Amino acid sequence: MRKLQFAVFALAMCLITAPGAFAADTIKVGVPLAMTGSYTGAGENYWQGIKMAIDEINEGGGLLGKQLEVVRFDSKEYAPEVVMQGADYLCGQMKVASVQAGWSGWGQDVRAYGKYDQPFFCDDGSEAAVQVFREDPEKYGNIFQLTDTGINQAKSMFRVLMALPQKHHNNKVVIINTDDAWGTEVGDTMVESFKEKGWDVAKRETVPYGTIEWGPILTQIRKIDPAIIHVEIPSSQEVITFFRQFMKAPTNSVLSYGWSIVPREVMDTLGKEADGLIGEMPTAMPGPKAPNAKAQAWVDKFEKLYGHSPQGGSWAVYSGVMAWANAVKAVGDETKFKEINKYIQEHGYVGETGLWKWDADNVVRAGGDVPVGHYQVQNGQLVCIYTDPPTKPYADYKYQTPPWIKN
Amino acid sequence: MSLEIIDVIISGLITGSVYALMAMGLTLIYGVTKAFNFAYGSFYTMGGYIAWLLLVPIAIAGGYFSVFLLAVPLLFGIGYLLEKFLVAPLRKYDDWEVKVMMVTLGLSLFLDNGYMAVFGGRMKSLPTFVSGQIEIGGAVIMTQDLVIFILAVGGMLCFRWILRNTRTGLAVEAVAQNPAGAQIVGIRKEVIFASTFAISTIMVGLGGILLSQKYFVAPVGGGDIMIKSWVVTAFGGMGSVQGSLYAAFILGMLEAMVGWIFGMDYVMISIFVVLLTTLAVRPKGLMGRG
Amino acid sequence: MSWKRMAAIMAVFYAVVGILPLFVGDMRFVMHILIMCLIWAVVASCWDVIMGFAGIFSFGQVAFFVAGAYCSAMLAYHLHIPPVWTILIAGCFTGVLGVLVGLPCLKLAGPYVALVTFGVHMTLTPLLRGKIGIAMGSGGATGLLTIPPIQLFGWTFSSEHLVPFFYLTFAVTIICSAIILIIIKSFWGTAFLALKDSEEFATSLGVNAFKYKLMVFAITSFITGVIGAFYGHYVGMLSTRMLNLDLFCTLMVMLVVGGIGQFPGAILGAFITVTVNELLAPLGMYRPLIMGALVAALVLLLPEGVIGLIRSIGSMWRQNDPQTIPSS
Repeated sequence: MRKLQFAVFALAMCLITAPGAFAADTIKVGVPLAMTGSYTGAGENYWQGIKMAIDEINEGGGLLGKQLEVVRFDSKEYAPEVVMQGADYLCGQMKVASVQAGWSGWGQDVRAYGKYDQPFFCDDGSEAAVQVFREDPEKYGNIFQLTDTGINQAKSMFRVLMALPQKHHNNKVVIINTDDAWGTEVGDTMVESFKEKGWDVAKRETVPYGTIEWGPILTQIRKIDPAIIHVEIPSSQEVITFFRQFMKAPTNSVLSYGWSIVPREVMDTLGKEADGLIGEMPTAMPGPKAPNAKAQAWVDKFEKLYGHSPQGGSWAVYSGVMAWANAVKAVGDETKFKEINKYIQEHGYVGETGLWKWDADNVVRAGGDVPVGHYQVQNGQLVCIYTDPPTKPYADYKYQTPPWIKN
Repeated sequence: MSLEIIDVIISGLITGSVYALMAMGLTLIYGVTKAFNFAYGSFYTMGGYIAWLLLVPIAIAGGYFSVFLLAVPLLFGIGYLLEKFLVAPLRKYDDWEVKVMMVTLGLSLFLDNGYMAVFGGRMKSLPTFVSGQIEIGGAVIMTQDLVIFILAVGGMLCFRWILRNTRTGLAVEAVAQNPAGAQIVGIRKEVIFASTFAISTIMVGLGGILLSQKYFVAPVGGGDIMIKSWVVTAFGGMGSVQGSLYAAFILGMLEAMVGWIFGMDYVMISIFVVLLTTLAVRPKGLMGRG
Repeated sequence: MSWKRMAAIMAVFYAVVGILPLFVGDMRFVMHILIMCLIWAVVASCWDVIMGFAGIFSFGQVAFFVAGAYCSAMLAYHLHIPPVWTILIAGCFTGVLGVLVGLPCLKLAGPYVALVTFGVHMTLTPLLRGKIGIAMGSGGATGLLTIPPIQLFGWTFSSEHLVPFFYLTFAVTIICSAIILIIIKSFWGTAFLALKDSEEFATSLGVNAFKYKLMVFAITSFITGVIGAFYGHYVGMLSTRMLNLDLFCTLMVMLVVGGIGQFPGAILGAFITVTVNELLAPLGMYRPLIMGALVAALVLLLPEGVIGLIRSIGSMWRQNDPQTIPSS
């Protein structure tokens, strides 16, 4: 019996470790994303962008003449030990040449992947992750953030809210955010920014995920009758129910959704109903008309592949793969991780819209050729009305007064 | 000020009727079979997906009417077979309650991830049942909330009446109170067990359809529903239909009031405190028995 | 099962696990899984003692685990107390917490106990993320990102060097398992079996159900807290994501696989579940689906889990070959 038990166990262990034994002349790229659990939807957005980039490289003859091979890892619900296991599996066991991760936490990922040297691209948008990086920039030199922090994104949202050609009937604002790291980071920054400008933050509410009955909060909002309501909940069912219940008896308020506009279901479900909503997408391709022909070609290709417009993060992770591939080409050897990291850090990457530049914190700060896009829903479509920083109107799209505001 | 309170009360009533709809089936199944069904939330989602499948890709004629017509026998069949094959064989063990919990946990893992594999991780929305809103003295109520309220309260009362006044209902009651005794007087306990399971599946499935058109259908949404129904039935007294109805509205009101006065973050903690105090005074819930 | 047999199964199993690092010591990924297996084995066994032996439907095990982890991490991080002490303090903290939760619970019927203990689990998230948690130093929604590693006799044990850490965990796991074995096979264990068979009769013989249940609640909570604290110092990071249903379900699967109330079963269950989970990982979203089906099938076909299987194979063996006297 014990022999059998041991044999089963040994067999199991062999099966786990077997894939590492096969060495072929492909370059492995690790992709840890949520494939099960509550973050599956976001994981899918990222996967579309990463897959598009990798297929493109492979169709074009591969990288350094070798085909790219994807190694996936299920990050489930991002418990710390799972993130750590992902790093050990991909970098330690599978010996991937690079990891393309999408959103992967707020610092746990930096610690877990910082142990290795392989270039790691993520879309955390988190100040906490940057703080971890600053503890030891040398050690964490392989971590590249594709998105600016929540603090800077919130500041960008605030600047655009102030720039809107909208006459406010008072200077009261209500801020609602979730209780996770992203929600509190954006919420705190918004409160600060509004207070600095002399606005009255009449209500700040932190809500747990899963809130779908908004009666008590809306009752208070209706009493306050604020000029601006900002909702920062990166999950679709909460923001859709909020919008529908708000519309039962709307106040004369600009409704700003921040990143909450990004989950695809929000636009799919609400469509034209949502006309007037404001939101942002960091490191997103402005649209519907892209800034130049090259960028437009990218958008067209994406839409042809997947049948819908690119979602938050898809373009960012696509660019992450391309930036890495570009550096590998320049260095000429995919295993010289330190040199590749140094190349990315020094030269950045020239994408569809222009230069992606990583700063001293290895973060692509918003601005320049890759600004934060600020959108409004117009006629059932997300329309980029501003890019920031610097705050300037995008193309010839104009802000429209939301239909529910009656002055 | 007075208008505000009315608004909060209305939202408490809406939440309460939503809870009542969710919990109706759970109290029945526990009351009669004493089995704790962990897959309860997955049946709720199943109702939502059946409706979505019929209304959106198939676009069935007759809309929701046909959906209900088809869903009832379908859910009954699924519930009946599941009881026969998964739950009934476990009754012979001493610790069958734990085993039933485990088997239904496995079932819910299977179903939830099955939905994910078949329908994808993104949530679906259903066409609304009724649209529009009514204004009563300054307070605005959505028509569909009114419908849900009427169906929840009406359904519960109807259900209680059936249990107390029909032969089948009395047989179910008899099995609930004393399975062995019921068998002696000629009631086939196995059939009652399986049927109860099936009826509870219908109840939660229909609740799922009604609430999914107000909210959404999502593959992992069931867990939340399961927990909420559990709190409601335990608070009201497991097995008591009337207790569940009261509990649903008390908790709905509590949620609205706490959310209004202290903020949404304190809702969960306050519910827990109220539940603990209630159970400390009445260990079987508000109206629990045996 | 006699305690000799339990001890023998455990000894053989741990001996096999103990030598594994000789073969896989240079594979971080596998070592990490092994360490996590050991940790889950302890949590699952504690849960098994509560659920299987004491017959209390407690769903608070993950909550105690996380509470222990946070308690130790916050003490070590903010007050700079050496982790060796904070781990013990965390154990005592969760032990007291266990008594506090147990006091109101033990008078309730099955599903109510489950609900109240699971309520502790659910309130922990808003508590740790909210203002109260931040005031205590839980780090709010961000959690704790720099938890100091364990230092013992001038050595540092952390996730940097996995083989030493493995053996430290190994030692702790063996101690915990031994404690659990002693509980089960002592007078208490017998008392529990008596209580399970007939509570009225056992009570009439002078077995105080309430006292024993409370004691067992305290001890298992203590062990769970200690191993939770251990986990925190190992991974070096904590967040409330641990409280998602994912881990809760996995632990329950371990119990089913090992067999409920079949003590060393939970340990085997932990190793088998984690291994199967890893083997199924390439299937992505089909992994939990298959796991679910497997659990349902196991409960129906193998109601006593792996231990039941081992036992029935053992007895078959003896029937076929009466000359052989099994060594264990």
